[in-house]
Amino acid sequence: MTRVSLIDLAGAIVVVAVLALTPMLLNSNYLTGVLTVCAIYAIWAASWDFMSGLTGRENFGHSLFIGAGAYTAGFLATVWFANPWYSLPAAVVIAVAFSLIVGFPTLRLRGPYFALAMLTASAIMQRLCLIFWEYSGGEEGLYGLEPLILSPLHYYWFVLAVLVAAVAILTALANSHWGLLLRAIRGDEATCQAAGINVTFYKMASLMISAAFAGLGGALYAHYQLQVSPPLFSVVVSITVIIMVYVGGIGSIYGPAMGAILLTLLTEMLRGFGEYRLWIYTLTLMLILFFLPNGLIAPLWRRLAERLR
Amino acid sequence: MSAILDVQNVSKRFGGLTAVKNVSFSLAPGELTGILGPNGAGKTTLFNLLTGFIPADSGSIRFEGQELRGLAPYKIVNRGVARTFQLTRPFLGMTVLQNVIVACLSPRARDAHDKEARAQQLLDQVGLGAKAGDAVETLPYGDLRRLEIARALATKPNLLLLDEPFAGLGSSEIEPLAQLIRRLHREQNLTILLIEHKLREFMALVSRVIAIDFGEIIAVAAPADIVRDPRVIEAYIGRTEAEHAPA
Repeated sequence: MTRVSLIDLAGAIVVVAVLALTPMLLNSNYLTGVLTVCAIYAIWAASWDFMSGLTGRENFGHSLFIGAGAYTAGFLATVWFANPWYSLPAAVVIAVAFSLIVGFPTLRLRGPYFALAMLTASAIMQRLCLIFWEYSGGEEGLYGLEPLILSPLHYYWFVLAVLVAAVAILTALANSHWGLLLRAIRGDEATCQAAGINVTFYKMASLMISAAFAGLGGALYAHYQLQVSPPLFSVVVSITVIIMVYVGGIGSIYGPAMGAILLTLLTEMLRGFGEYRLWIYTLTLMLILFFLPNGLIAPLWRRLAERLR
Repeated sequence: MSAILDVQNVSKRFGGLTAVKNVSFSLAPGELTGILGPNGAGKTTLFNLLTGFIPADSGSIRFEGQELRGLAPYKIVNRGVARTFQLTRPFLGMTVLQNVIVACLSPRARDAHDKEARAQQLLDQVGLGAKAGDAVETLPYGDLRRLEIARALATKPNLLLLDEPFAGLGSSEIEPLAQLIRRLHREQNLTILLIEHKLREFMALVSRVIAIDFGEIIAVAAPADIVRDPRVIEAYIGRTEAEHAPA
């Protein structure tokens, strides 16, 4: 099995150190906020990659788990006035419950059913938020969440720590025999069956793990924005996450996390261009995906690490 | 001795076509049996029914006294029935060793704690030990067949089903593979059922032949006798005499 090499570890430490120290050097609450969002998107992208990148079963509704986690935090804060720290475990539980509801009937099937069910489920949840506006706050969403940590810088460090833990756990799993099985499922489900592997179980378990981290990220986002609203369930969020994964390099876990950070930063940096920023952003994406179909970060790092060795 | 596999009246229809019709046979433990039939006779469909890849419409498939019909393919494997595919299906993007490790992770292989060592041992057994670290894409066809067998053996089968193991192989690859099958049968006392439509490799290998045509069993006999059976000659040899004349 592949083990995390010293060079990979050194690279990870440098990246995390730069991410952790940048807001201290520049001392800007705006930048700290942007980096917090970067880290949350990175959690979402890495968690998407663990299930869909490894097994090849594309999930077009990751926002279902993100929104479920965020709204769990929202309801806990505004209905039950719970301690905000309860949001995190509760968000994980609810997101995993949603993954069971969608995954159980569809992951046993081959074909596009799982992808379509995820897409549909997230769209339905977005509509339900509008229909049951008395409870969900409708378009406005839910307001008045308490921050988990008052200082924006300390909260950013906390989110960054969660990201590091998430990437470490998911990478360890992906490099284990478990990850080998998930990649075998991507290769050929019939051969897996012939090898005595319960394919549905492994797909389901990996979706639950993916959902757990996505829901956790959702709750972190809710306690950063201090409000939740229906667009969290939107297809745009799901697609954004998928694009981040492809730009980062699908199936590598750390690549998608870095891809998410880069694309979130790019979006923010382009704000100065006003209306043109969508053009620039889209054009950049198209160029990356056209010339680097395997993504930007992971292949680049592999080449660099090879050189350093 | 009671049968290890007992198949009774198994049928499968695809629309208007009956692919397998009222097939009944049984295998004694340790037997090396062949299923013979021209292309399209329903051999592979029968294999898919036995291994759960296609659900049977009717009949019963009892293995070591327990019904297999209705079980998912991976459950059948974990009862001790392993198969290979005629078109080999390796996991691409992995090494040869990793391909076998996947099967070593099945519940039936639980007691092998060091999966790498177990997979390496299986590769040695089928003669692929030196290629463990190679990318699976680089293996020639004959080695892929061996890899299929190693993967099947990883699940510790009591019954091994080989789907046309010699198809597409060159003459230099056929005899060593036949020797491997013979050795597995002898050393591990493995019950083996293999499909083949070429008579030559078959005859020297198996002790009993089940001949099928149009999804039905038309004869069961020793290899030497099967070629004299008039129904077999009519269904099989009569049709493709030049190509498949017995050796």
